Amino acid sequence: MTDKTITPREITFRVRRYDPDVDTVPHFDEYRMHVHDGMTVLEALHQIKAEKEPTLAWRSSCRMGVCGSCGMFINHLPMLACQTQVLHLDSDVVTIAPLPNYENVKDLVPNLEPLIEKHAAIKPFIIHTNSKEIDEPTGEFLQSVKERESISQFTHCIKCGLCLAACPTVATDPLFLGPQALAQAYRYTADNRDCGLHGRLEAIDIFHGPYQCHLAGACSQACPKGVDPAFAIQLLKRTLVLDSIGFGKKKSSLAKVMPLADVVKAIEEFAPPPRTVK
Amino acid sequence: MRETRLWSLHILVLPIIAVLLGAHFAVMHYAPVFYGMSVEKAREFSTMIERGKSITQLVLYILLLAAGLYHGMYGVRGIIRELPLTPTLAKLVDVGIIAFGLFIFALGTYVTWWTYSYKIGG
Ligand code: HEM
Ligand code: HEM
Repeated sequence: MTDKTITPREITFRVRRYDPDVDTVPHFDEYRMHVHDGMTVLEALHQIKAEKEPTLAWRSSCRMGVCGSCGMFINHLPMLACQTQVLHLDSDVVTIAPLPNYENVKDLVPNLEPLIEKHAAIKPFIIHTNSKEIDEPTGEFLQSVKERESISQFTHCIKCGLCLAACPTVATDPLFLGPQALAQAYRYTADNRDCGLHGRLEAIDIFHGPYQCHLAGACSQACPKGVDPAFAIQLLKRTLVLDSIGFGKKKSSLAKVMPLADVVKAIEEFAPPPRTVK
Repeated sequence: MRETRLWSLHILVLPIIAVLLGAHFAVMHYAPVFYGMSVEKAREFSTMIERGKSITQLVLYILLLAAGLYHGMYGVRGIIRELPLTPTLAKLVDVGIIAFGLFIFALGTYVTWWTYSYKIGG
């Protein structure tokens, strides 16, 4: 975070309002409020709702950047309201609108259904040839630290949908799978325990798939969890190209199974240190 | 056809375009440097016909035509298909692009062949 002096002061919030039962087009309402140091946009919205406008609608839950519910267009950039401090925006007017590239349900609430549908389409789970081992596990699939690190950042996705709101391709091509689903397609395909690439081809090796990414990189800038979906899409392209010419990673010797007895032993080995406070 | 194959070809033809278009530019724009003749002279009908007699040029131009057309047509298809189209319209765009590309390829090949087989003096 910047270390500029943050003076508590009066801030004007321009909040986009839209009630489909009443309005034909959205409009902006303004609320002026004293903002203290550390106050987040989400807290400001709660205060506006409590003191000025009880009908204001938005979606939020955890307040700590984990659930991914409170994505909004704050001063024309997609951000999580709970992770954005008002005074860090360095502006006396803060404009809040619903995430673009989604249908607007009401006020600041976007319809995230397309995000979820695209995510589900790429089969976001480990697909293993040994279905018996999946249904009746005799142990755990092994994954080395290096194997885990190679996909680690992509596992941090919280499905907030900010990346789709930032993506210029999604803006013109609503069918584009988008950075979230494509990054997750890479996350699972690159996982050493997965051998589901061919099962995902029908969903990802299509016109509206990775090749519609024109490298704007806006998704990576928007991601509140530090994921680089634009990079994942390039890695997915490489995976697909190599597979299409028969040079795909052979995963026949996939993830060895560690017998349960050894798993228990390993857990004991890596047990946390004893408690220091009784 | 897997989109990956179509896109890979779009990228794979780039080295061909870079080299052959470079050579084409050398003939058309840098003739004074490479051939010791003026640009006007290099673009004259008679010079063009003379150049066109070479079988190497015939093959390379048809290769550039194919590579440039494929790259360009795939690119244009991408731009059009990014618009919200119904599946039928999308199919129509694909078929239209293929038909248009094949037509231009046939025309270009005919022109190049015509130059190659042109009898100087009638
Ligand atoms: C050596 C020269 C060239 C290079 C290095 C080059 C490179 C590229 C690349 C990398 C793309 C993909 C961009 C993306 O997916 O966002 C592209 C797209 C495209 N190229 Fe080329 N190209 C060259 C020559 C040409 C020529 C001669 C034409 C015209 C016949 C052409 C027409 C197009 C079109 C229409 C697109 C699609 C643009 C878009 O999707 O926004 N290119 N080119
Ligand atoms: C101002 C620039 C250009 C000039 C003056 C020019 C001129 C010519 C001429 C005079 C020919 C006949 C063959 C010859 O005499 O060698 C020709 C053929 C050709 N040019 Fe160009 N050209 C230009 C740009 C381009 C570009 C940008 C491309 C590719 C994207 C291209 C692709 C071709 C191809 C494929 C042929 C042979 C196929 C055919 O004859 O149909 N040219 N050009």
